[in-house]
Amino acid sequence: MELFSLFFGAVVINNVVLTKFLGMCPLLGVSRKTSSAIGMGAAVVFVIFGSSVFTYALYYQVLVPLNLQYMDLITFILVIAAFVQFVELVLKKYSPVLYKALGIYLPLITTNCVVLYVTLFNITEGFTFVEMIVYSLAAPIGFMLVLYIFSTIRERLDLADVPAAFKGNPIALIVAALMAAVFTSFVGLI
Amino acid sequence: MLNAIIYLAALGAFYALVYYLNHRTPRPEGCEEIDATCGTCSLGHCGNHPSQQFTEVKLTLKEKNNA
Repeated sequence: MELFSLFFGAVVINNVVLTKFLGMCPLLGVSRKTSSAIGMGAAVVFVIFGSSVFTYALYYQVLVPLNLQYMDLITFILVIAAFVQFVELVLKKYSPVLYKALGIYLPLITTNCVVLYVTLFNITEGFTFVEMIVYSLAAPIGFMLVLYIFSTIRERLDLADVPAAFKGNPIALIVAALMAAVFTSFVGLI
Repeated sequence: MLNAIIYLAALGAFYALVYYLNHRTPRPEGCEEIDATCGTCSLGHCGNHPSQQFTEVKLTLKEKNNA
């Protein structure tokens, strides 16, 4: 039940985008088309999960024994950047289809602050390995969910009669604010 | 202190190695111009934005736009 609460809480109640306002750049940049949103969302899930497992192991197996916990931030930044490069390399070599599907979104994830947030949160909250796995899946799924819903709304907004002053990012930000209000209404559900 | 320096150097070297290997690996067929086609956002200073690509790619894009 606790793990379910953690999962549901990370996806809906404490959604990284709508409650922490992280990853706003990809939210606005990649939400114009639903296909792009799904591609970016899938790539984010993959990278966050992989880098979380890797950084968690590195923290408890290397940093803690060497008493270098204060170097967690720089370690995680380098590990995330290296992980993205490594994944790109492997996909290029062994899975051209997946490489083509993820396309440009893979290298763009290096700059997504949600990845760094999740890896640091796993450590600061003192999660166990299983909790870390659950949270590292739930947080990016929440990101993907918001990105997908947001993209469907924006596709409809393109066809709507929006006043000239609100066209583009202004109306998108208003929609994001309304979505944040809706998602915060789930607080207290669990 | 020495531990920290060695650790950081190792991590930096690991990143450099992976970066080098990734850039040395050729892209699969059909994905050669994947960077040049990125128009997801309007951040012109991003390394993946078409305006930051090589001159040949810029010229190709210009030709495409003109056509």
